[in-house]
Amino acid sequence: MKKSALTILSLILMMSMFLAACGGGNNGGNNNTGATNTPSATPSESTEPSKAPDPVDLRVFSTFGGTDAAREAFQKALDDFTAANPHVKIENDVMSANDDGFRTKVNTDMTSGNEPDLLFYFVGADANEIISSGKVVALDEELAADPEWKNGFAPAALEFTKHTDGKTYAIPLTGFFEGLMVNKKIFADNGIELPTDWEKFKAAVSALKAKGIIPLSGPFDQSHYLIEHFVLAAAGAEGQKKGLKDGVDPNWEKGLAAMKEVYDLGAFPEDAATIDLGMAANYYSEGLAAMILEGSWAIGGFSDDVKANTTVLPFPAIPGGAGTGKDVVGGFGTGFYMSKAAYDDAAKKDATIALLKHLTSPEVIKNIATANGGTPAAAGVQPEGLAQAVLDGFAMVSEATSVNSPIDSKVTPETFNTIRANIQPVVTGKKTPAEALAEAKEIETAAK
Amino acid sequence: MMKGDRKYIVMFLLPAAAFLSIFLYYPFFKSMYLSFFRTKGFTTKTWVGLDNYVRMFSDDLLGAATLNTLELMAYVIIFQVGLALLLAILVDNITWGKGFFRMVFFFPVVISGTAIALLFVLFYNFQFGLLNTLLQDMGFDKVNWLSENMALKAVAIPTVWHYVGFYFVLFLTAMSKIPSDFYEAAKLEGITGIKKTFLLTIPLIMSDIKVVITLAITGTLKVFEFIFVLTRGQNDTEVLGTYMYKKALVDQNFGYGSTIAIYIVVFGVLLSLLANRLLKRDEITY
Repeated sequence: MKKSALTILSLILMMSMFLAACGGGNNGGNNNTGATNTPSATPSESTEPSKAPDPVDLRVFSTFGGTDAAREAFQKALDDFTAANPHVKIENDVMSANDDGFRTKVNTDMTSGNEPDLLFYFVGADANEIISSGKVVALDEELAADPEWKNGFAPAALEFTKHTDGKTYAIPLTGFFEGLMVNKKIFADNGIELPTDWEKFKAAVSALKAKGIIPLSGPFDQSHYLIEHFVLAAAGAEGQKKGLKDGVDPNWEKGLAAMKEVYDLGAFPEDAATIDLGMAANYYSEGLAAMILEGSWAIGGFSDDVKANTTVLPFPAIPGGAGTGKDVVGGFGTGFYMSKAAYDDAAKKDATIALLKHLTSPEVIKNIATANGGTPAAAGVQPEGLAQAVLDGFAMVSEATSVNSPIDSKVTPETFNTIRANIQPVVTGKKTPAEALAEAKEIETAAK
Repeated sequence: MMKGDRKYIVMFLLPAAAFLSIFLYYPFFKSMYLSFFRTKGFTTKTWVGLDNYVRMFSDDLLGAATLNTLELMAYVIIFQVGLALLLAILVDNITWGKGFFRMVFFFPVVISGTAIALLFVLFYNFQFGLLNTLLQDMGFDKVNWLSENMALKAVAIPTVWHYVGFYFVLFLTAMSKIPSDFYEAAKLEGITGIKKTFLLTIPLIMSDIKVVITLAITGTLKVFEFIFVLTRGQNDTEVLGTYMYKKALVDQNFGYGSTIAIYIVVFGVLLSLLANRLLKRDEITY
């Protein structure tokens, strides 16, 4: 009696340990297949749904949640798919892209064997790791096998999401632009000229400050857009593209110095150091701030009044730098990835590809673009009822001398965060731009 | 104890030991292992020997984070433990409504720290926060509550407030354990009021105060959500917890993040040992 109890207990213990060990082992196995089983032997195209399909559970992880303007449009696209394919159940897993935690969550999921079947994620440096570790598959063959799907895209959009190895892992949905969003009404009411060049920008900052209006709403911690635009406006397209690998371009320093210059004129909110992006956008949306550096996705979230009075300008070139004043940040920075796990799972593969094709079909792209003001990735699609600000943004992009991907796709995350952490010390004069960038350069070198 | 019992004791201890090993010791030793690598995201790492430790000792931001943590710890020990003790003494001395006050003071402990922090974002916000709206209504200028000079103190307020109730309950329980004949004897000797508190109550719960101070010290090393939500570590409010998070998870430099984690552990153990040494007293049994 005693003996059997002991045996059972120790058995349970052994099993629990075995389970724990299994978790670890599984991971290793996944890694191995990722390394050895490159998608060379892709089975031939077979998208015809089978006669009596087995139930399939899919998980889609994206940023279309919370306050995202396209949340409902995306949910509707998923619902349409499940209505047409009743055997498929979709878990719509979401997280805000504003949050640093988003990248962490994606990376953790991808490396811990908890990959979503479809992942909506950034292209560029952010995706290097999930691609190089073989967690997602190249979709070139799938695209080639379905000309109707492939030809639905604007060629430029597909070109933009190509990885550095020339393959397409991410299927674009909508593109974006970033720019200087200006509340025209505040400028007109106060008789201030729109900031179309650097001198006018500085004059506007001083004049607005004197009136008690926040000139440029921007947070110092989540200073992604500030850094992107000030550096691009000083270093130009070529200088920005170089990153920090081969030394610090002196024009980058001019960008940070310009940030200090306008800080001294009172450009930023009093509490710029401690607010986040959401609060900064809120100040603009409530009409407390006259300008903000933001992306096209933010326009849908502005209050109607401010939205109607908003126009989008390229950030003016900083004198003495290499910027043209018409360099903009934009492109197709995100796309749908298909995980290797779903691709290798015979039960899921077809359903996942069908869902991917549905989500990147011209109609869905059109609906999403209409909702979030993004540039549709589909050829010949014209979203309806766009805000004037979005159309102004499209016009800005069409007149741009260069369309650049954001600066954080050019350097490692730690390097970029070092620059972020140094924005406040630089503008308050505790550090010089040269010191701040030298620090970032050191990190970039160490991370190589 | 019978000989057969020992087997069962070991058996019942094993699951807990297994859990602790999996969720505490394994991650700890893994961190130690990782601290010798330069990691690049999740998949690639290269052995760098003691480089991370060298970097740690020349890292100004880590030094600043340590000082900020110590400053916060001082606020926590003085105000959190102090207030908890004061409230416990007051509540212990009333006869009516003890349960009510105990519940009211304990309540913040149950609220999530993030929720409290978000609440205080709305208090402190410069443009339309509660405090500034009140100031403006009274005709004063707006104050930037989270400026460089004040941010850490402003963050310390919700931090202190959040856990006062927990230590309060610990103190109150300790006080209720004091046998009433001690007080009766004191009463006969004519010792009442404040004198009774300082000569009897506090000396008798000294071992609990020691435990609470140790908890407060180690608890401060874990402060994260208030800083992260209220100031994002800007304006001289970066503490060890947020700095480690940023390095490990935002920068995806797990090697250096692990090094900081090891540093926090060593730092915490040293501080608790120091506190124990300073508060050394004979154990009181009653």
